[in-house]
Amino acid sequence: MKQDAAMKQDAAGAERSSRRAFWTGAISIGLVNIPVRLTVLVKDHTIQFHLLHKEDGQPVRYERVCTRDNEVVPWEEIVRGYEVREGEFIVLEKEEIDAVRPESDRRIRIDRFITVLSVDPVYYDRTYLLLPDGPADAYALLRETFRTMGRAGIGRITLRTKEYPVLVREYQDSLILTTLHYPDEVIDPGQIEVLSAIRIPGKKELALAEKIVSDLSGEFEIGDYHDTYRERIEALIQSKMAGTTYHVEKPKAAEVRDLMSALEETLAQLKAERASAKGSE
Amino acid sequence: MPEGKKLGRVVLTNTSRVMYPELNLTKLDVVEYYLRIAPHILRHLGNRALVLQRFPDGVSAPGFYEKDAPGGTPAWVHLYRHHSVSARRDLHYIVCDSPDTLIWLANLAAIELNIPLARLDDPESPDLLLFDIDPEPPAGFREGVTVALALREMLADLGLVSFVKTSGKKGLHVVIPLAGGYRFSHTRNFVHAVGSLLARESPLVVSELSQTHDPGKVFIDYLQNSAWKTMIAPYSLRATGTATVSAPVSWEDLSRGIDPGDFTLQTFRAEDADPWMDLYTSTQRLPEVGK
Repeated sequence: MKQDAAMKQDAAGAERSSRRAFWTGAISIGLVNIPVRLTVLVKDHTIQFHLLHKEDGQPVRYERVCTRDNEVVPWEEIVRGYEVREGEFIVLEKEEIDAVRPESDRRIRIDRFITVLSVDPVYYDRTYLLLPDGPADAYALLRETFRTMGRAGIGRITLRTKEYPVLVREYQDSLILTTLHYPDEVIDPGQIEVLSAIRIPGKKELALAEKIVSDLSGEFEIGDYHDTYRERIEALIQSKMAGTTYHVEKPKAAEVRDLMSALEETLAQLKAERASAKGSE
Repeated sequence: MPEGKKLGRVVLTNTSRVMYPELNLTKLDVVEYYLRIAPHILRHLGNRALVLQRFPDGVSAPGFYEKDAPGGTPAWVHLYRHHSVSARRDLHYIVCDSPDTLIWLANLAAIELNIPLARLDDPESPDLLLFDIDPEPPAGFREGVTVALALREMLADLGLVSFVKTSGKKGLHVVIPLAGGYRFSHTRNFVHAVGSLLARESPLVVSELSQTHDPGKVFIDYLQNSAWKTMIAPYSLRATGTATVSAPVSWEDLSRGIDPGDFTLQTFRAEDADPWMDLYTSTQRLPEVGK
């Protein structure tokens, strides 16, 4: 029952996020355009904490402070600098950066078709759901072709201000898009000394290891895995909400704050009086 | 003093029972201590309710709190009836206003004597204001002293005279005797505000309940400033291995450097000058602020 409810909630959530397309455009293959919108496929369930001031339970905020005079700097007075040497910056104006920024042309340009497995998963960055934007005929055709041929499209997209290589493929009756890392973003393990110094294992050892692996072989069942940390945090939050033994922070009474500033004033006055009394002696 | 002997109006029992096993001190030693210190301690107990912490099997076994006078309390012991909302019944607090009662309490193994910060003639109106200075390890007594001295200075700047005692453990109690007419909300807010000001000045000090267990910090506890909450009475023994006492000390001695372990059942002498002699003749008004 509980699971049903959760699934319903997930489905409702998927519906809602499907309405919230964060990018609309078209997949273009040569002269063919397939109108699509891009929505969230992967949701991060990491529990979010807010940062509060311990003393009074109020949310804190970040402020950009000048490191020289500790004054808060408003956004209008902020420019972007690139550190050329330690402590030495060149300043790039907003216009200069904008001029070289890739323009989002609202196209997912497919360059060629490949077999899905030819892209090593280390290149996978983030995956989004592609939904038809308007008539779905062309969308369905591409999906079915991918499915029957076991192929996927590789191409480019510009999201916000960055251009990414992308993989477009079929997944459970839909088309999905995965942004990929550039080759220079992925470290080449061949360059790592520890790895190149490893000796090749002997035949006997290998045979034993292979036996262990085949004994433990099975199917991929992602449902077997749970975020137990999240579950424990959720349980903790539940028990706190139930008002059990945990101490709930109360904001400091306004009276105490008022009294503090009044006492501060009194102290300052008394000190000033004493100083002037000394001065007149 | 033989078993079963009457001391004043009290028949002593089990006098050879060991109360402090590390020092091999018996209940008779406890009785003798309280008798010796009676002139000093009775000034603070005489007109207040008393909350006992009794250790019938000595300080190495767990003791228990007792607010309500136990069965068998002699008719000559003065009691104060108070309806406890939380306990949903009437409590009969013991009032220790004579050496006889003090001896009787010692015979009950009531090693720790705790007193509210108000007198019985008006239990809702505090006559003492308490800064409970509580160092959290690795901070200890030395850090507590640093904070107490800073507190004394700030209070002096506000025109207030304060008194200090060791808690008998790692903490310190700074007390201001008050003129009449205050409510606990006044004293609690005042202690909280002054604690917060000190916390702002010194990274060693914390003033909020949620920070009580911040390691290496010294918490200035304001919450004991509440009706029917208590502090360990000045000159009360503590249930520590070394039989320490919650000892009133002079600010001069404190700044010169003392060890709370120097004040014990064995070292305390009745003829020592009482640094809190002037406590009840030094009643003060809190500074008028923000009016």
